[in-house]
Amino acid sequence: MSDVAFSKPVKDSVPKINDEVAVGEDLGFQRKWWKFETFMWWMIALVLALNFAGFLGRGPVAHATLGNNAMLVRYERVERTGTPSILEVQFQPNTLGRGQVKVHVSQSIVNELGAQRVIPSPLDTAVGRGGLNYTFSAEEGPGSVQFALQPSKPGIFHFTVEVPGSPPLSAKVIVMP
Amino acid sequence: MFTIMYAVAGYFFLMLMVRLLTRRPGAQMTMFEFVIVFLVGGVIILAVTGGDRSITNCGTAILTVGLLHNIVAWVKARSPRFGALVDGTPLVLLKDGAWVDEVMRGMKMAPEDIMAAARMKGINSIFDVKYAILERNGTISIIKANKEAE
Repeated sequence: MSDVAFSKPVKDSVPKINDEVAVGEDLGFQRKWWKFETFMWWMIALVLALNFAGFLGRGPVAHATLGNNAMLVRYERVERTGTPSILEVQFQPNTLGRGQVKVHVSQSIVNELGAQRVIPSPLDTAVGRGGLNYTFSAEEGPGSVQFALQPSKPGIFHFTVEVPGSPPLSAKVIVMP
Repeated sequence: MFTIMYAVAGYFFLMLMVRLLTRRPGAQMTMFEFVIVFLVGGVIILAVTGGDRSITNCGTAILTVGLLHNIVAWVKARSPRFGALVDGTPLVLLKDGAWVDEVMRGMKMAPEDIMAAARMKGINSIFDVKYAILERNGTISIIKANKEAE
């Protein structure tokens, strides 16, 4: 005799169709599932439409521009983790033409938004005031500086860009997972 | 940490997508459906591991998915409702010589799919099928009509 104890009796618990085939069909559940399925397909279509428009990054809605009398800042208000993008600081003609131009950027541009490099290379970089102070060689306008960004983690981050003598420009960037 | 979070999200996202893409895996899968499964699987791998291709990272992702799969199987075995949510319920496609039209349309099945399953059982006419049941694993069970009894 085996030592295994078969203590649970078998029950005919699976619902039958026509009282002859045990199937266990649950059409009520399935009808609810079909409704959920239809809802989900509409949600998927909505997500794809939002993505196409750029609400999830890399589209027309994601592009943003800030400006004052010293510069225009073009950036992506919605970034994606690990995806490269460009933050461009375009100087107004009155900012250039003095041989040099200075730009202060907040530390979040390097830490959270993952600045990989600055184009062109600055003449000098100094740390201070909660960020980095770049000095670029500059001639007559137009002229711009680009920061190659690649965020390493998702979240909502703020950044500030400032040219000494003009009000700082700040914005919020959403980094998608 | 992010790998584990992405693996969990990827597992449930893939489970939802496979569930939404109707129930035709395994024996019922056509080449068209193989394309979807491989493409979706490949894209999820990219998102989960990111740029870190180290054995530590990929191993962590595999362990996370393995553990999740075990937990889902454990809950499935104890809760028929959860089992129905993950795998669906068996559905009768053909009953007493009549198509169950609501189910056929809902599951996007064609009579050719049922006949393919019938032929596997050596049945060459739809009139010899008494019941056709779409099982939870995506296969179609065929029960022959007993002509002598009728």
